[in-house]
Amino acid sequence: MKRLLLALMALILAVGLVVLPWIAPYFYIFIATEILILGLFATSFNLIFGYTGMLSFGHAAFFGIGAYASAMLLMGSPWPLLACLAVAIVAGAVLGLVIGFFSVRLDEVYFAMLTLAFGMMVFAVVHQWRSVTNGSDGIAGFRMGGLGLGMELTLGNPAVYYHVVLAIVALAMAVLYLICRSSFGLVLRAIRENPERVAFCGLNVRHYRLAAFTISGAFSALAGGLMAPFLRIASPELVHWTMSAEPVLMSILGGTGYFLGPLFGAGMFVLLKTIITDITQAWMLVLGIILAIMVIFFRRGLLGTFLDRWLEKS
Amino acid sequence: MSGIALALLNSLDIGLLLFIIAVGLNIVFGVLNVINFAHGALYMLGAYVAYSCIAILGLSFWLALIVAPLVVAMLAVLVDRIMLRFIYEREISDSLLLTFALLLILNESVRQIWGTGIHVVEPPAGFQGTIRLPGGITYPTYSLFVVIMGFVVLGGLWYLFNRTRLGIIMRAAALDREMAQALCINTKRVITAVFAFGAWLAALGGVVAAPMRAIDPGMGDKIIIESFIVVVIGGLGSFPGALLGAIVLGLLHGFGGRYLPDINLVLPFIGMAVVLLIKPHGIMGKGAVT
Amino acid sequence: MKTLSRQGLAVLAMAGLLAAAPAGAADGPIKIGALYMLSGSAAAYGKFAQQGIQLALDEINGSGGVLGRQLEVMFEDSEGKAATAIQAARKLVYQNGAVGLMGLDSSGVAQGLVPVIPELERALIITHAATPDVTGKLCNAYTYRVSVNVHQNMKGAALVAADSGAKKWTTIGPDYAFGHQSWEFFGKYLKELVPDAELSSDPSFPRFGAEDFTPFINSVMEAKPDGVLISVWGGDLVNFVRQANNRGFFDQGFQVLMTVGAATEVLTALGEQMPENVWLGTRYWYDSHDTELNKQFVAKYRETYKAPPSYNAEGAYVAIYAYKQAIEKAGSTDGKAIAAALKGASVNAPTGVLTFREGDNQGLIGPTWGRTAAMDDALKIRSLADIRNFSGDEVTPAVDAECKM
Repeated sequence: MKRLLLALMALILAVGLVVLPWIAPYFYIFIATEILILGLFATSFNLIFGYTGMLSFGHAAFFGIGAYASAMLLMGSPWPLLACLAVAIVAGAVLGLVIGFFSVRLDEVYFAMLTLAFGMMVFAVVHQWRSVTNGSDGIAGFRMGGLGLGMELTLGNPAVYYHVVLAIVALAMAVLYLICRSSFGLVLRAIRENPERVAFCGLNVRHYRLAAFTISGAFSALAGGLMAPFLRIASPELVHWTMSAEPVLMSILGGTGYFLGPLFGAGMFVLLKTIITDITQAWMLVLGIILAIMVIFFRRGLLGTFLDRWLEKS
Repeated sequence: MSGIALALLNSLDIGLLLFIIAVGLNIVFGVLNVINFAHGALYMLGAYVAYSCIAILGLSFWLALIVAPLVVAMLAVLVDRIMLRFIYEREISDSLLLTFALLLILNESVRQIWGTGIHVVEPPAGFQGTIRLPGGITYPTYSLFVVIMGFVVLGGLWYLFNRTRLGIIMRAAALDREMAQALCINTKRVITAVFAFGAWLAALGGVVAAPMRAIDPGMGDKIIIESFIVVVIGGLGSFPGALLGAIVLGLLHGFGGRYLPDINLVLPFIGMAVVLLIKPHGIMGKGAVT
Repeated sequence: MKTLSRQGLAVLAMAGLLAAAPAGAADGPIKIGALYMLSGSAAAYGKFAQQGIQLALDEINGSGGVLGRQLEVMFEDSEGKAATAIQAARKLVYQNGAVGLMGLDSSGVAQGLVPVIPELERALIITHAATPDVTGKLCNAYTYRVSVNVHQNMKGAALVAADSGAKKWTTIGPDYAFGHQSWEFFGKYLKELVPDAELSSDPSFPRFGAEDFTPFINSVMEAKPDGVLISVWGGDLVNFVRQANNRGFFDQGFQVLMTVGAATEVLTALGEQMPENVWLGTRYWYDSHDTELNKQFVAKYRETYKAPPSYNAEGAYVAIYAYKQAIEKAGSTDGKAIAAALKGASVNAPTGVLTFREGDNQGLIGPTWGRTAAMDDALKIRSLADIRNFSGDEVTPAVDAECKM
């Protein structure tokens, strides 16, 4: 019965997302696009945090490289968006492989510190390599171009871009979901619980972590690749550690234990920010208090806590 | 030649200032296993409170040096009682997140209380101006004070951890909390004391830094990554390591800024990564191992 | 496991709640959106803009408003980041109903936001950011600027530098558009005036927000130039001057030009530490314009805020009046009409009459440069002597060929 109810609500939500541009005020198209993109970023981050148990504090490196790859290609080449995104994904995967190769041999706080170091290294390079990345001013003013695959779409139209993002994010999330539900995902969760046991079973823990890291890098870069055209700019802030903190916050807010927790957290984060900045400039203070309450009392995240209770009642 | 001497001297005072600021972070991690993301905000708070003491209450710099860190330490005790006591037993990621929340709260609070302006604190009388060093180099007198202060702090910490009962208790609590509790040591109090001590050191760093830096609401954010680098390079949990890390970073800034300006932003992070890969516990660290 | 239910409900519920918020009744206030740095190290600039805006609003609303309606300004924090500013601009226009936008403290933010402006179909009046690109290769029919841009300021600087007789120049500037462009244009204009001037091939560009300038200070002192152009600003400039003082930088005998040194918050923070005999530039100096409007403006500002107005306050003040004029001329609150009404408009500013040049929407205005002299005991800041108010015509180059509107 509960399953049916959940499925029905899922359907309503899916329909709601598709028709959003026609039923909600214009500004919400931008909000929804942002939530979808950041939700993808947070979900791919959660692959290694919630599922594999590794806290990365440098994920903005992947997000950023996707954004810059996308922006640079849109700026300097006639390629359609899908092609640029494909390059972004590859770039993210490669960077994930490189950074992951060094990072996954460490644990806990050392892993977090090393990913922070790598993330800031990428930031520093992006910030100082003016001739390629235009330094702190970022890459802006690129054309929006076409989508690719023979489809004629005006990506400059926010509603159109929103649907494109919706389709791509839905697809990406589906792929990530399949990965999480597969035996690969099961191993990851086992690694989070007890790495030694997994090693005793004959599996190479490091290889699994590296694979997860690479996949996470690829999907984070996809999110970044979608973000640059949305913002019309790729700038170093997208690579800074404060950006790395966002998927962490969103995953915590929504709940790391459920696949859609981070997406929910992204929604919470963006909506709260929009509402609260209308009331006060002290948005950071409110966010800090909410985050503190979440970490202390709702460790499973908002979605996580409610779902735990809801599903336990059956 | 004098270029190198200048860069060296520059590295020295940058490095020792960083040491004073970052050593508290190191100690808190070593004893409590908590990475305090809000450490930079506490440093900033120290500077602002000192500014208020001097500019508004009319206290001297020396009084502010005593009062401001105490005020911040008391705030830290409050924070510990209200927030942090929940997560000491939990994983490290929780402490990172909770202290990050604290950072957001403190940053905004500072802005609300002191406003957005740029404030300035003068060096105390007797330490203003410059002195001539052999070789014809002029060195700011206050920088000399910073260097001396850094060594004073180092000496004080060594004495605390090796010669006092409190220090030995802290080290015991760091090594084995349950055992310490079994020996009737009130670990809850020790924990609060250590966190407050870390905050006290951060604020001390803030007061010492105040005459050298403009006091503005962005100070805390600028210093937190630097502190992390110092702590990682030197060794999480080792305070002589913090000195080493601070000096290394000071050298990177002093020489990098001068001779390698194009890559001086990346260098500290490369250093951080190299240390983590070769000796994760830092060059001198003996911190927690997983 | 299906986990969509709560999220879906929550999102839809919140969307519904917010959609119910009124979009702004037809005779409610006319809203303008303002994007400034309200947090971080440069927050003082946003604060001054707010103060200048408030002064203008009080005057306008007190005498009947615009088209019979009250004028209101909504502030968003750009955080010095282009991405944030773009989101905030969209919010101001689509969510909050702004009929026009103003602001921008950072040239980097301006370069990111300006290309997006035509999509929003609202005018943007820039009151601070100085990068010439927004009235150059990024220009568009919606973007206007009331404040001095880097070309104008650097031409003024070059004129001052040429008169000083110094030949070998270097710079210390922040490592982004503003710093690099300041040096580039200063060099260009100086060479035109002094063909045998030498420009350092190794100028210093510390990171914006760097706390420690000593390596760069040492580097310049070793190079022994005749003159130094300093384009560091805000809290960075305060740090720089204090650190430079400690190293005897200002006793070396070279000419020092600080491109935005005469900013009130910098002068207030430094007090006596701002050395004498350095040249300070500014977009607006409260004490150097003899117009009736300036006297009133300065007097009222000092009465309300107990300090003389900085250039950011004056720029924001002028922008509000520009909007009032444009809305009245357009006779409506339609964003496009207002933007069109700003074209070629002339506004009464404290500095005199300010006209938007038709070719690129840049205000024809010049910087003020002065040499620091004795302390003003009442205000506790350095006073300026040998003041030169450059007129727009003296310092503004021809419309950039890359600007195609």
